[in-house]
Amino acid sequence: MKKKDIVNYLAVFLFLLPALALFIGILIAPIIKSAYYSLFDWNGMGEMTFLGLANYKELFTSKAIGFMKALFNACILATLSVFIQLPVSLALALALGRGIKGEKPFLSIYFMPVLISTVVIGQLWLKIYNPDYGLLNSALTKMGLENLCHIWLGDKKTALISVFVPTLWQYVGYHMLLMYAGVKGVSPDIREAARIDGATEGQVNRYIVIPVIKPILKVSVIFAVTGSLKSFDLIYVLTNGGPLHATEVPSTRMIEMLFQRNRYGMGSTIAVMMIILCFAFALLISKAFKEAD
Amino acid sequence: MANFTVKEKEAHSSKINTRNVVLYVILTLWAIVNLFPVYWMFTFSLKTNEEIFGKNLIGLPWDWKWSNYASAWHTGNMPRYFINSVIVSVSAIVLVIFASMMATYAITRLKWKFSAQMNAFFMLGLTIPIHASIVPVFITLRNMGILNSHFSLIFPYAAFSLSMGILICTGFMVEIPKDLDEAAYIDGCGPFRTFGVVIVPLMKPALATISIYTFLQCWNELMFANVFISDSKFKTLPVGIQALSGQYTTEWGPIGAALVIATFPMLIVYVFMSGKIQESFVAGAVKG
Amino acid sequence: MKRKLLSLVMAGAMALSLAACNGGGTTTPADPATSPEGPAPSAVTEDEVKDAEITLDMWCIATESDSNRHSYEAAIADMAEKYPNITLNWEAFENESYKTKIKAAVSANEMPDIFFTWSCAFLQDFVDAGKVYCLDAAYEEFKDELPESMLGNSTYGGKHYGVPLTMNIVGLFANMDLLKSVGYDEIPGTYDEFIECCDALKAAGIIPFGCAGKETWCVTEYLESVIEKSVGYETLNDIFLGRATWDNADVASAVDTFQSLVKNGYFDPNGIALGNDEVKANFMDGKYAFYMNGTWNCADFANNSEFFPKVKVAEFPVINSDKATLGQLIGGPSDTLAVAASSENADIAAKYCFELGKLICHYGYLDGCGLPAWTPYGDTSAVNALTQDVAVICGNATGYVLFGDTAMSADDANTYLSYVDLVYGCEVDGQGFIEGLANDIR
Repeated sequence: MKKKDIVNYLAVFLFLLPALALFIGILIAPIIKSAYYSLFDWNGMGEMTFLGLANYKELFTSKAIGFMKALFNACILATLSVFIQLPVSLALALALGRGIKGEKPFLSIYFMPVLISTVVIGQLWLKIYNPDYGLLNSALTKMGLENLCHIWLGDKKTALISVFVPTLWQYVGYHMLLMYAGVKGVSPDIREAARIDGATEGQVNRYIVIPVIKPILKVSVIFAVTGSLKSFDLIYVLTNGGPLHATEVPSTRMIEMLFQRNRYGMGSTIAVMMIILCFAFALLISKAFKEAD
Repeated sequence: MANFTVKEKEAHSSKINTRNVVLYVILTLWAIVNLFPVYWMFTFSLKTNEEIFGKNLIGLPWDWKWSNYASAWHTGNMPRYFINSVIVSVSAIVLVIFASMMATYAITRLKWKFSAQMNAFFMLGLTIPIHASIVPVFITLRNMGILNSHFSLIFPYAAFSLSMGILICTGFMVEIPKDLDEAAYIDGCGPFRTFGVVIVPLMKPALATISIYTFLQCWNELMFANVFISDSKFKTLPVGIQALSGQYTTEWGPIGAALVIATFPMLIVYVFMSGKIQESFVAGAVKG
Repeated sequence: MKRKLLSLVMAGAMALSLAACNGGGTTTPADPATSPEGPAPSAVTEDEVKDAEITLDMWCIATESDSNRHSYEAAIADMAEKYPNITLNWEAFENESYKTKIKAAVSANEMPDIFFTWSCAFLQDFVDAGKVYCLDAAYEEFKDELPESMLGNSTYGGKHYGVPLTMNIVGLFANMDLLKSVGYDEIPGTYDEFIECCDALKAAGIIPFGCAGKETWCVTEYLESVIEKSVGYETLNDIFLGRATWDNADVASAVDTFQSLVKNGYFDPNGIALGNDEVKANFMDGKYAFYMNGTWNCADFANNSEFFPKVKVAEFPVINSDKATLGQLIGGPSDTLAVAASSENADIAAKYCFELGKLICHYGYLDGCGLPAWTPYGDTSAVNALTQDVAVICGNATGYVLFGDTAMSADDANTYLSYVDLVYGCEVDGQGFIEGLANDIR
C-alpha cells in the first residue's frame, strides 16, 4: 500500500511538472516580484525607495489616481456583462444547440467578432460613433431623431455606455461557444424523451438543459466578471479612459502608471489589487453557485 | 432521426412555424450584425484615407485599391511575420494542450491530498492581467537566454493560456467514466499508460476548443511581441501591422489590407474547425 | 534669393540659446553623483573606427510608413559606404509601443548600442539611472557643425547625452481658401485681427479651429501657444522646467483666454471625440480654417498636391505685448539618438552616432520632415516651400519653450495633460488650473 502511494505522488509530480514550470516561472514568480515592487517608489530604472504600504493607501485615497472610479466603472461593466451579455449568449446557445437548420453557419458567424482583431473592431466602432459622419448619428438623423444625436465618445454622459456596448457585443460569441459545448453535451435521447412526454422547448431548456450546463454557466459568469475587471483593449482604442477620465477602468490606470507616468511601483500596486479582486470575485461566484445547488 | 423531425413538424400546429420564423429572423439579423465587421474590414482594405475618413464609410470602394495589398505585403517582411505568428501560435497551442491535459489528469483522476487547492492555484492564472508584470517576465526570459527567439513568445503565451486550457480539460475529463481508469488499472496499466491509452483518445473533443481559445490569446497579442522581440527575423504580425502606421501620419488602407491578410486565413480555418467542434460535441454526447 | 538666404537664416536660428533641460527634475548641474560610474570616456579617432570590425545594433521609430524612413535609409547607406567594416543592425518600431519597449529594455539592461529617444525628461530617467553613455568626448569633433545650443535638451549635469536630429515647432496652419472667402488674404498678424477673423469665419459657418480632444497633446499645441504669447517664453520655461511654480496669475488669465476661445465656439465641438488623424484629415478636407500643430506636418501637406497650394503657415499672434513678443515659439529639438552605457563599443558607437545623426538630419531636412538641428549644408533648394516658411519663422525666433509634455517628467507631464483636458472640457478655469497643478505636481 505504502509503495503505491509513493508511486502515485511521483506520478502526480510528473504530470504536473510541465504545467507548473510554465505557470510558476512565467506567471506566478513575476507577479510576486510585482507585489514586491508595489512596496516601492520606483520609476522602473533608477533607485528604489521603500514605502511600505503607502502606494496602497494612495491608491484608495487619491482622487488624482481615481482608482475607485475606475473600479466602479469596471463593476458596471461586469454587471451588464452578467445580466445582458450572458443571457444573450445563452439564448443563442440554446437556440443553436437544439439542432436547428443552419446551425453550423450561424455558429461560425456568431463567433467571428471574437476572432477579428480589436484594432478592426475599434476602428469600426469609431466610425459608428463619429460625430461628423458616424453611422449612428446619420441613422438617427434619417429617422428624424436629431435630438438624440450625441458626440458619443466625447460626452462624459454617453462615453461609458458607448464604450461598453461594443465590448459586450464582441464577446457574446465567446460565451456562446462555451455554452454551446455544454448544450450539445445533453444527450439527444433525453431531449426526445422529454418532447414525447409533451414538454415544450422552453421546458426542456429550463428543466433539462440548464441544470446540465450549470458548471459551464459558472465558468462563464467568472469569465464575464474577471474579464470586465481586466478589460482593456477596446477601451484603449476607443477612448483610452477619456473624456475627462469618464471611461477609466483599472487596466487603463495601470498602463498609465506603468508606462506613461513611469510610476512602476504604483502600476504594480494596481496590478496586485486587480488580481486580488478578480480572485475574490471568482471565489464568491463559485460559492454562490454551490449554494444554489 | 430526420424522419422523426419531419413527422414532428407535420404533427405540430402552425404556431410552431410562426415561432420558428421569428427565431430565424432574429438569428439572421444577429448574423448580419456579426458579419458586418468582416465586410467592413474587407472594403476598408481597398479604400483611400479620404474614403475611410468620412467620404465613403460603408459603401463599396469607389476605386478598388488592390495596391493596398501590395504595399501591406511588401512593407517590412509580412510573409515572414505571418509565418512567425503561425509558428508561435501553433507551438503555444501544442504546449498548452499537453501541459493542461497532463495537469488536469493529475488533478481530477489521481488521488492525492491537495488536488483541489492545486486546481484553485491554476485558476489564479485567469485573474492576472497580461500586461501587469511585463518587466519581471522580460527579465526572466533574459535570464533564460531566450529573448529574440520564438520561445520568448511561445512560453508566455502558453503560460497565460494554461488556466483556460486546464479549465476546459477539466470539463471534459470529469465526464469520462471512472470505470475506464479502474478497468485499466486492473489490466495492470500504471497512471502513464492509463493516461496515454484511455484518457488521451477520449479528449479529442477538447482539443478544438482549447486550440481556439489559446489561439485567441496569441494571434493578436501585441504588448509581449513588441517588448520581447527586437529582431525582424522573429517579429509577429501584430507588430508588423503596427509598423504600418507612421509617427504623425497613417495610411489606413494598407493597414486594413494587412489586417485582412492576418484575419481571413484564420476565419477560414475557424469555419472548418467549428464544423469539427460540432461533430466532436455530438460524438461526445452520444458516448456519454 | 529666399532660398539662398535660407542656410544663413537657419544658422542664425541655431545660434539661439535653447532651454536646457537640466533645470528641472532630479539632476542638478555639476552634480557628479548622478553621472554614470566608470572611467571618463575618451574620443576615438577616425582610423580606430575604420579598423574596428564590429556590429552595432540600433533601434528607432522610422518604420516603413514613417515620413523619416527615407532619411534613415539614405543616411545608413552613406554610413555603410564610409565604414564597410561596421555592420549596423537597425530595427524600427511603432512610436507608441516603442516607448514601452525602450523603457522595458532600460529596466532589464537590454538596450541596443544606439537608440532613438525623445530629449529632456524622457531621456533624463535613463541618464539618472546611469544607462546612457556620455557623449562629451565624441562631441569635440563635431562642435563646428552642431551648435552647443542644440544640445540643451539632452544635457544633464553639464554633460551631453544625446545627438539631436530634427527640430520642430508649433505652427499655425491656415487654409487660405477659407480665409479668402471671408476677406483675408494673409493670416492675421495681431491677436485682435485674428479674433475678428475667427468671428468672420464663424459667421460664415466655417469652423475656425480643428483640434483632436482625444489626444491631449493636440490641445497643448493651442494652449501652450496662448500661454506663451500671454506671459512670455521665460516665464513658461521656468514653470515647465520646475524653476517656478504654476501658481502664477498671468498663466491663469492666459488659460482663461484659451478657454474663451473654446467657449466662443471657435473649436469644432466634435473634435473632443476625434483623434489627430481624423482632425488632420478634416483640415485637409477644408473643414477647418486653422490647425495648430507641429511643423512635421509640412511634409504631408506638401505631398498632397491638391491641398498644398491652399495652406500657409504662420506664428501665433502676440496676446500681451508687455510680456511676449513675436519670435517666441513652442518647440525645439526633441528627436534624439543616444548611446547605451552598456554597449561594448560605446566609444565607437558614439562617434558613429554623431555622423549618422548628422546625415539623418540632412536628409530629413531635404524631405521636409522638420528643421535641422545641425547646421545645414549642400543644396537645400529642393526643400518644400512650407518648411522654408517655417525656417524663416525660426530665423526670427528669440526664444523657444519645449513642448510641455516633453519638458516635464513623465509623471508631471501626465498630471499636466489631465489638467489640460479639464480646461478644454471647461471643467476648471484658469484659477483652478494653476491651483490644481501647483498642488498635484509632485
